[in-house]
Amino acid sequence: MTTATQASPAAAAPTRPARRGAARDFRATRWGWAYSAPAVLVFLAFVIVPTGYTFYVSLWKWNALNPALSKFKGLGNYRRLWESTQPSFLSSLWHSLYFTGAMVLGGTAISLALALLLQRGGALLNGTRVAVFLPHATPVIATSMIWTWIFNYKFGLADWVLHSLHLPTSQWLQSSSSAMPAVVIYSLWHEVGFTTVVFLGGLAMLSDELSEAARVDGCSAWQEFWHVTWHQLKPVTVFVVAITAITSLQAFTQFYQLAAGGPAYATTTLSYLVYEEAFVFSDTGYGAALAVVLFAITVFFTLVRRRTATGESHALV
Amino acid sequence: MRKRISAAAGLAALALTATACAGGGTSTPKSDTSNGGAAAGGKTSGSGTELAVPTGPVTITFEEAMTIGTLKPAMDKLVADFQAKYPNITVKLQGEPDYATMYTKEKAEVQAGNAPTIGQAYESWASYFQGSGVLTPISELAGTDTPASMSTFYKGIQEDMKLPDGKTWMWPFNKSVLILFYNADLMAKDGQSEPKTWDDYAGVMKAVSKDGVTGSTIDPGSATAAAFGTQWFEILAKANGATLYDKDGTPHLSDAGVVKALQYMKDLKDANALATGKNYPGETALGAQKGMFDISSAAGYGFENKTVGGKFKLGITALPSGPAGAANELTGTNIVVFKSASAEQKAAAWAFLKFITSPEEQAGWAATSGYLPVTGQALDQPALKDFIAKNPYETAAVSELDTAFALPGFSWIFKCQGYEATAIQEALENGKQPADALNTAQSACAAAKAQG
Repeated sequence: MTTATQASPAAAAPTRPARRGAARDFRATRWGWAYSAPAVLVFLAFVIVPTGYTFYVSLWKWNALNPALSKFKGLGNYRRLWESTQPSFLSSLWHSLYFTGAMVLGGTAISLALALLLQRGGALLNGTRVAVFLPHATPVIATSMIWTWIFNYKFGLADWVLHSLHLPTSQWLQSSSSAMPAVVIYSLWHEVGFTTVVFLGGLAMLSDELSEAARVDGCSAWQEFWHVTWHQLKPVTVFVVAITAITSLQAFTQFYQLAAGGPAYATTTLSYLVYEEAFVFSDTGYGAALAVVLFAITVFFTLVRRRTATGESHALV
Repeated sequence: MRKRISAAAGLAALALTATACAGGGTSTPKSDTSNGGAAAGGKTSGSGTELAVPTGPVTITFEEAMTIGTLKPAMDKLVADFQAKYPNITVKLQGEPDYATMYTKEKAEVQAGNAPTIGQAYESWASYFQGSGVLTPISELAGTDTPASMSTFYKGIQEDMKLPDGKTWMWPFNKSVLILFYNADLMAKDGQSEPKTWDDYAGVMKAVSKDGVTGSTIDPGSATAAAFGTQWFEILAKANGATLYDKDGTPHLSDAGVVKALQYMKDLKDANALATGKNYPGETALGAQKGMFDISSAAGYGFENKTVGGKFKLGITALPSGPAGAANELTGTNIVVFKSASAEQKAAAWAFLKFITSPEEQAGWAATSGYLPVTGQALDQPALKDFIAKNPYETAAVSELDTAFALPGFSWIFKCQGYEATAIQEALENGKQPADALNTAQSACAAAKAQG
């Protein structure tokens, strides 16, 4: 009996590596390649080839209508990044970082606060959850058009509310100083619904025992939130920060519809500048160079985040 | 080099197909290296023989943006009349909601090797198409660079049909000039009268800007699109005697007359007599009785009238004049014929172009759409006579088609107008000195010209 009990794991031991080996072998077989081929091909066609092609185009003064008339410029388009003044590359980069920072900080804080407020159940709170999420389900282009009128400084709702509350009104999208904050306000309105739901999901998975233990030990509500609740939400927070940073760097539609990059380039981000140069001015090579730089910046932030994330938080993104 | 380009073309086609990104792709069109367009010494002289109207069934496609308000029925009538006369030719309209979308579509269609037969185009767009070798010159259709009917067009229109190479690449379509719409009741109440000079205009603007009313609200345009505010600035500069661009495109955006124009606008803004906005803000403010004036296209009459909705008497008059006299700028687009069309389609397209600029059709088109007739012969037609009897402003607007200017047809002028718009924004919104704002615009425009 004893022998048999000991023999059992011994007998099982050689089978485990054999199964892993079989799995690896299967992935290396023709069938393995065949099963993964559709996904690999789609990835190649939709991501790898266009990305490589964009880099290729960035080396040319590209004539999109007749590529035969394109002229090779080498790194000339990249040099133009530093020479251009209307707008300058650095100002566009700054606008991208400004918007991304505002969305990451504002979006994370607001959605976490909303999630904490809405985490308890009940019909009213459930209805409020739906109301908070609803803007995220609307098309950005459609709601941006509506917000253009909300921000209208002559007839708009935003200034009417401020005026009614005896607060100073704003020129909103008409002024260089208030245009970007206006776009941030709209974007927060549209995006926090999603990140709030993510935080609500995280809160639902938290253990009550730690909170109860903290309260028994005399923790204040703030201490409980700071040391227990949010600590456990760290992986979710990292996910929210990462996804918000990436989507904010790539944000385009609201900039296009609300402010068209203006006034005086105040809302011209890198994404918008790529569109402007490549598709409005048909300066495809320069637009491609900008797109490559935007790609590099996004990769940089992703790598930094992966370096700084560990354990469970790493697993989420 | 050719091999590498072919490889790139293949990759481009793959990328475009894969991403289904018709608007943003850079796929390979039917590249024409044998011609390379006029810029590369392409065929620009006609065969000497005008294309005959085809007798067999032909379908031509027309990329256009006459899809809203009174424009759509006017466009439909042109096509219906043409097809009634030539039943073997079908004109398939490819309507777009706005010019920006239309231009994106046109470029995407050319890139995809599926260009329309004809399409609306501004001068700078036509320049880009021509430089890429994808346009057919008018001489190839008419057998001459100066078809007979061209001489009946207003002089400003004739000039506008050519690109800087001196050849005729466009055919006129929806042309107009700017005019002044105003609240006649409010003007009478305030004891003011129609301004005859820009100085008068400034005086009236300041006098009426009180009790929630602003003299006028303009859209200064943006980096990617000129608006009526941009054109007003250009007109003011011309009225000051300035030359914005030489014929070769050399910019003079920081010249004294141009700076004076922007200073004029800034003074009005500083006096709270001028406001800025987006999406036809002058029309909205005028209709809401919050604005006295709106400088807009003559073709906007139907829209202005609808916005006013009978709340007050809508006054219409020609633009005031400046120290150098009256100045006005052409608005609207021309039509270009794409090279990829078949011989039959080109022949049908030429028949269509001639038909829509005939006096009879121009009269109906102008009376319905609000655009101006490109030929004076249309004024004798009953349909337009009736319209002018009800809308006397039309006579003054049409008379300016002889002298109205258009910016030189270079593809990068589009960018320079964006720099002008930005200078206006900088001066009006950010308090920048007009000279400084325009110096920046001048440098950027000169750089754009150098880039080509």
